[in-house]
Amino acid sequence: MGAAELCDLGIADLGRRYRSREVSPVEVTTAHLARIDKLDKTLNSYVTVTADRALADARAAESAIRGGAAGPLAGIPVAYKDLYATRGILTTGGSALLADWIPEHDATCVTRLQQAGMVMLGKLITHEFAFGIQFPGHRFLPARNPWNLDHIPGGSSSGSGAALAAGLTVGALGSDTGGSIRGPAAFCAIAGLKPTYGRVSRAGVLTLSWTLDHTGPMARSVEDCALMLQALAGYDAADPASSREPVPDYTATIRQGVRGLRVGVPREYFFDDVKPEVADAFESALQTMRRLGAEVRDVQIPSIRTAPAFMVIMLTEAFAYHASDLRQRPHLYGEVLREKFMAGALFTGDEYVQAQRLRARLQEDMQRALSEVDVLATPTMTGTAPAFSMVFDPNFPFARSNMAPFNMAGLPALALPCGFAPNGLPISLQLAGRPFDEATVLRAGHAYEQATEWHRRRPPV
Amino acid sequence: MSTPPPDLSLDEVRDRIRVAGVRIPEERLAVIHSLLRDALRPIRALETREMSTLEPAPTFDAAAGRDRHGRR
Repeated sequence: MGAAELCDLGIADLGRRYRSREVSPVEVTTAHLARIDKLDKTLNSYVTVTADRALADARAAESAIRGGAAGPLAGIPVAYKDLYATRGILTTGGSALLADWIPEHDATCVTRLQQAGMVMLGKLITHEFAFGIQFPGHRFLPARNPWNLDHIPGGSSSGSGAALAAGLTVGALGSDTGGSIRGPAAFCAIAGLKPTYGRVSRAGVLTLSWTLDHTGPMARSVEDCALMLQALAGYDAADPASSREPVPDYTATIRQGVRGLRVGVPREYFFDDVKPEVADAFESALQTMRRLGAEVRDVQIPSIRTAPAFMVIMLTEAFAYHASDLRQRPHLYGEVLREKFMAGALFTGDEYVQAQRLRARLQEDMQRALSEVDVLATPTMTGTAPAFSMVFDPNFPFARSNMAPFNMAGLPALALPCGFAPNGLPISLQLAGRPFDEATVLRAGHAYEQATEWHRRRPPV
Repeated sequence: MSTPPPDLSLDEVRDRIRVAGVRIPEERLAVIHSLLRDALRPIRALETREMSTLEPAPTFDAAAGRDRHGRR
């Protein structure tokens, strides 16, 4: 098997081949390191490549697999958004402010994947503090979209999306405050899951907005996201929002199909600015779900138009977190990000409280809709990835988001590919579910994925 | 039918910048104004006395033993 083929395999497939001794973790890790060396000069997805650590992890996994004690993630290459603290390894948050920070502890997610035997390839570029674009002149170069290098890969988990699409890792972690896992997944034709608020620990992950921040897996298939979620999910005393809700076996139900599953489509708000090619791909995806036996119907979320209040919560909390550095070392923030964070100081106390009240109503309305159906389906993004030339305009507007309402409500939401536009860029389907019902969301996503070929397409890198 | 409440004006943004003591260049005001105006539109339209009160975050069954409404 050639190096390019090795770097195209998913978690489940690699695990089978490891156990049958067809390939080894060291071979797969070596192939990935060589591919990173060859392609990442152009893609800029990695901030730091931890080659020695990766090979040591791979050798340890190889021993564990030989000993018969290894789990499904043993020997699988993974890379972390550079927002996750990694002990002894540079963690920048995409910011000049933390350009030299070497944490003394791993984030809980990093510890859990390490304990599961994953092989750490390195750290992936993030938009500055998981929010701002990496503008020209800033300390870090932006990651580029493997489907078209002139376009953004989405953000803020930009390196995670680009690296997965280009075969520079098998799994990745992202963070999602208003869509930062699902956006890059959508723009790069991969899968990304924002779990329920409290399902996966955020301890050791830099904060953007603590009541909206989520951590979660990204991979080239829904099944691979499920395998990673299995290791990540569960209570962590170090995260004050962490849940004690029992963790189910996500792979036990993933192949049960969607016959009889009720799929709700909230037609209001989520389709306001949707481009025709995205609308076509979405309706086509619904047709596929119907053909697979799902019952698709429209649902109402009466308060959905209050969703833009998201920005009041996000910016106010971001300012609260960064207030001291914004006042004392403002020059270390990218100019456009600094302005956005400063805007967080312009909301009043009552506006923040009212935004949280609106959020509670939105959460109740979404849960009411989810009492009538099992999952909600929307386009993940309203269009395809914009060009750098557009987003580098400082006046580029902050787009209305189809993803942020699910951060407001804390519900699990999955993005997965559902088509390609005439310009060759990916289109994505978003599926969301009830609190802690990631299993149903993953089951629906996997069924759709198995019935389509979109996730098997690879970019021309 | 009631009249929709007025949007946040550019002058209000200038006032808020002055009160908050932050620096945002005048040439960037239009972008910041648009960001604030859109975010505040649903809040300005809110009938605050008709809303139920709440605890801050949707924590479901968070570690501190609260339910999804934040109650212990």
